[in-house]
Amino acid sequence: MECTVALPACWVSANALENALLRSGNPHGADVYSVTVGFPTGCKVMVDAAIRLLSLVNQLDHCTRRVRLSFEEGEAGTMGYLNRMGFFDNLSPSIEVSPKRPAVSRKKRYSGGNATLVEIERINKDCRDENLLTRLTGALMDSCRNREDASELKAAAWTIFAELIDNVFSHSSTPLDGYAALQVYPGGGQVRVAVSDSGLGIMQTLRPALKSEFPKLVGITDAELLVEIFRQGLSRHGPDRGCGLKGSAAKAIRFKAGLDVRMPTNRVRLTPARGEYQTSAAYCDDDLPLIWGTHICFATRLNG
Amino acid sequence: MFRDSTERMTTETPATPNLIDGAAAETILLRDFMESSQGWGREQGRIVYGKLLTFIESRPGTLIFRVSMKGVDRSDISFASETVVELARRYRGSKGFALIDLTDEDMLENWEAAAARKRQPLMVWRGGRAHVIGAQPSQGTIDAFQFALTHGGVRAAQFAVASGLSIANVSSKFKQLWEQGFLLRREAVAESGGVEFVYLRIG
Repeated sequence: MECTVALPACWVSANALENALLRSGNPHGADVYSVTVGFPTGCKVMVDAAIRLLSLVNQLDHCTRRVRLSFEEGEAGTMGYLNRMGFFDNLSPSIEVSPKRPAVSRKKRYSGGNATLVEIERINKDCRDENLLTRLTGALMDSCRNREDASELKAAAWTIFAELIDNVFSHSSTPLDGYAALQVYPGGGQVRVAVSDSGLGIMQTLRPALKSEFPKLVGITDAELLVEIFRQGLSRHGPDRGCGLKGSAAKAIRFKAGLDVRMPTNRVRLTPARGEYQTSAAYCDDDLPLIWGTHICFATRLNG
Repeated sequence: MFRDSTERMTTETPATPNLIDGAAAETILLRDFMESSQGWGREQGRIVYGKLLTFIESRPGTLIFRVSMKGVDRSDISFASETVVELARRYRGSKGFALIDLTDEDMLENWEAAAARKRQPLMVWRGGRAHVIGAQPSQGTIDAFQFALTHGGVRAAQFAVASGLSIANVSSKFKQLWEQGFLLRREAVAESGGVEFVYLRIG
């Protein structure tokens, strides 16, 4: 059967993308042979949604489904914006694009020309790029240079990316690339830091080790376990490890950043309360349409 | 590539000579062991750890390594965990590692998180003053630790006189601090002709 993911004609955050996926059914469903993603006029895809969607369509293509992206406005609309981000540079060549795939990668053309614009960076553990973090966090200083805490913000974003991307290298064991992106929204008022991979998923790697490493946590829910991953640091490698995600969360909390973690069929959203992420302030969605891997976004509003 | 231990150091260093009560100390630049000025990730950390390990094994006479962060622009928690924190844990009790030229607060926070996770104390020297990151001394040993920090190398008898505690009690505190990685020690000849330990601060 044909599955259609119809995005709304407005800003598409990760939330809006998830709602569109729910309405579509399940693009990874066993009876689905073709998937179309529709981008109507007025649709503007935010960075966290863009890399989550990019991972999903590449996964579907990898599973030999026919995938088509349909842009109502053509390059004049969100397609041009996605092209500038490098979306099409990372899109599997066999995915169809309507009206047609951009002839020129505007990311390659303008790369480095304007550091305030977001660019999607590929995470490939076989081709580790040492300048990746500098490029990802470069936009911050350009957009927020008037803020007193600009250096602190950049340093925090650098560490968050470093730990999340290293986590992809270490845990995801995927043949598909992961992606990372940072976007500062107008005036430096909002920052989104997003990392997406198509691997096993944070729970699939940790749960089997709970019995031996953290037996008290065996029976807890995914949401509770996720809170513990970011609050006390948990790793399948035992109590000496896991400090990376915990430390990243501590830095994000200082900027009152919300955390959105999408796992294969569930999603947990956390907002900081009393200086930490707590299970009581977690929003959980279960039985979501399948997306392989782990998709993490920290988002914060910056005042002043 | 590496600073000679007799070279006059221009970096921020603890106000101590390169011989601390007879024990050799040496300053190394972490940046010299790294591919770039940014240290991130466990994989890169393990590569740097291997290089550091080879270097340290080639310096059997050196007891204390002051690791200068000069030239290191950034380091994340995983990198810190796999490099100097892991070395400090491996050589706990036999060699000491202290961080110097660590002025960036964000980096300091990352090193602290890494040391705390491994329950490893790590000395950080700034402007001639030291503080411990990671594991902290217990309430019962903190005075003995501060005494050793102030004096460089101390014998149990010295702190016993200063504190009014028994030598047995003081010896027990210093032994605990040595076992937990807060201090180093070496054997020395006591005034009585027997053997006693001199406890050394790291840095």
